[in-house]
Amino acid sequence: MSENNVMIRLRGISKDYGEGDARVEVLKGLDLEVNKGEMLAIVGPSGVGKSTLLHLVGLLDRANGGLVELDGQDTDALNGSERARLRNKMLGFVFQHHHLLDELDARDNVALPMRIAGRPATQARQEAEALLDTVGLSARLTHFPDQLSGGEQQRVAVARALVMRPQLLLADEPTGNLDRAASDGVFRLIRDLHTEESLTSVIVTHNEEMAGQCDRVFKLAPAGELSGYV
Amino acid sequence: MTLRAEFHLARRYLIGLRRRTNVATVTLISLVGLGLGVVALVVTLALLEGFQSSIRRDLVEHSMHAQVRPASGRVLDEVNQLASLLHSSLPDVEIVRSLRGNCLVASTVDAVPALLVGRSDVESVMADQVLAARLGIGATGAVDVISPRQRLTPLGPVPVRARVDVKEVGVTEPGAEGGVLRVPLEVAQRILWGSAQVEALDLKDLSAPWRLGDRVRRVLEGRDGVVVLGMDELNRPLLLALALERILIFVAVGLILVVAALNLLCNVAMVAAEKRRDLAVLTSLGLEPVRVRRLFLLLGLGIGAAGAIGGAAVGVATAWILDATGALPLPRGVFVVSSVPFSVDPMMVAKVVGLALILSAVASWLPSRVVARREPAEGLRYE
Ligand SMILES: Nc1ncnc2c1ncn2[C@@H]1O[C@H](COP(=O)(O)OP(=O)(O)O)[C@@H](O)[C@H]1O
Ligand SMILES: [Mg+2]
Repeated sequence: MSENNVMIRLRGISKDYGEGDARVEVLKGLDLEVNKGEMLAIVGPSGVGKSTLLHLVGLLDRANGGLVELDGQDTDALNGSERARLRNKMLGFVFQHHHLLDELDARDNVALPMRIAGRPATQARQEAEALLDTVGLSARLTHFPDQLSGGEQQRVAVARALVMRPQLLLADEPTGNLDRAASDGVFRLIRDLHTEESLTSVIVTHNEEMAGQCDRVFKLAPAGELSGYV
Repeated sequence: MTLRAEFHLARRYLIGLRRRTNVATVTLISLVGLGLGVVALVVTLALLEGFQSSIRRDLVEHSMHAQVRPASGRVLDEVNQLASLLHSSLPDVEIVRSLRGNCLVASTVDAVPALLVGRSDVESVMADQVLAARLGIGATGAVDVISPRQRLTPLGPVPVRARVDVKEVGVTEPGAEGGVLRVPLEVAQRILWGSAQVEALDLKDLSAPWRLGDRVRRVLEGRDGVVVLGMDELNRPLLLALALERILIFVAVGLILVVAALNLLCNVAMVAAEKRRDLAVLTSLGLEPVRVRRLFLLLGLGIGAAGAIGGAAVGVATAWILDATGALPLPRGVFVVSSVPFSVDPMMVAKVVGLALILSAVASWLPSRVVARREPAEGLRYE
């Protein structure tokens, strides 16, 4: 496999929380590679560190040791602002909870990453409307998050994650709070967009069936035990 | 880099205009607190300025604006030459020859120490209110002036004394402790010195009283044997007291603003805590730490500016109305003015608004440091 075909490379990642007696070692010496265009599922028991791992890949947190490389770039040397700009341009996030801003309507929520990037308000709105159309919510532009169903909220979140046309989509149990039907819909949407937008995607999930539909499945084990592809 | 996104967020979202959240309420309270602080400061300083400027006006009206004195000793030499030099260089300035000394003034009621002031422009004798009251002479009357100078008589040395007729009673000069008897120059010369000499030239220029000292100094530059005192030197204790009063009042009332700023700090810190998850979301979407800080500075400065400008407007209007309507009357005779004077100095208002803005910036800068340092993962984790 050629070097520049790797989108995410983790080497010897360790992460612990707390200090002294309260110290919890969550990740230890973890290696992981995700190829460009790949859709990787991460599975594992609750509390094992899946979210922690995703946060490290998404530059939302810093590891205590090890290397995080995105598209061949070592992210450790980047400062807070550079990491923020990289997240804005290159990364899209979907969380278990929608994490939309309650005070903004669906369109403004989706437009937010573009506003942060300094794009003009009108352009940001147009792009937002286009993406809301893509996720099937063109009739919900001016609805506020509390006026949307759980499935719709997650669709807005997906639209927001993709409005900047990122290369990488990171989703942390995106369907964890949804009922069966909504859950299937949102997952199908993510999978379709993954293909259409030529994304590299990492999806944390508890759902065996969804994991089975991904290209590869990575099973995260507690620190000290061996994690690996299944 | 554009500030538009930060403005958009600070306005629309952090304060939460869509819902009446408790953040919005507390923000309003901070704003009102800061505004009231500014009102208090502006009104108090306008009151102070009102009183002080009436005192300064009085000072300018009733006392001299510069004085030429001998550098050593008490006799001013070459008075005529000095006077004509000053007169030709500064034609608008009023020049009076003067002589001062302590004496005892005796009436039929009492004998009290007083300052005897002899002036070349005075024709009749005047006692100030304080002296007149102490002497119990009411409006006018004859008094004896007893000099510290002695005269040898067959009975031994006796103090020089003279009888003068007090024709009027005048106001006490601001800053003077009182007890002044003003007489024609020749009378003072006879009583105090026994020779026709002058101690000083008192100068007055109503068009620019505060600058007269410097102008005279320039005219007399390089001339030995004389010193020039301007308004500042002549009234040093009074002016110092006025300046000190201003500073103390500013500090004391300014503390209200500090308290208001602390309240603002609590508010901004509360927004930071309440909106912790949302800030983490914004950061995860790519808002840089510096811009998160800017967002909070903007929030604090927005509240600060609204409070300061609103407060300044209310304060200036209040002071103006109170002054124009004379709503707070003062007892006659005690003060030179008939109602509490307010005087708004634009410079002072600018200083107060500036102080409010600086305090708001500091109050929002402190919590913003904490916010910007956090990694977003923390805020995203739990609901
Ligand atoms: N800020 C924190 N302080 C202490 N422990 C933490 C913190 N965040 C996460 N943890 C712990 O790290 C472990 C992994 O958490 P997480 O990555 O959320 O697991 P998962 O997503 O797999 O359920 C858990 O035991 C959790 O309690
Ligand atoms: Mg998790």
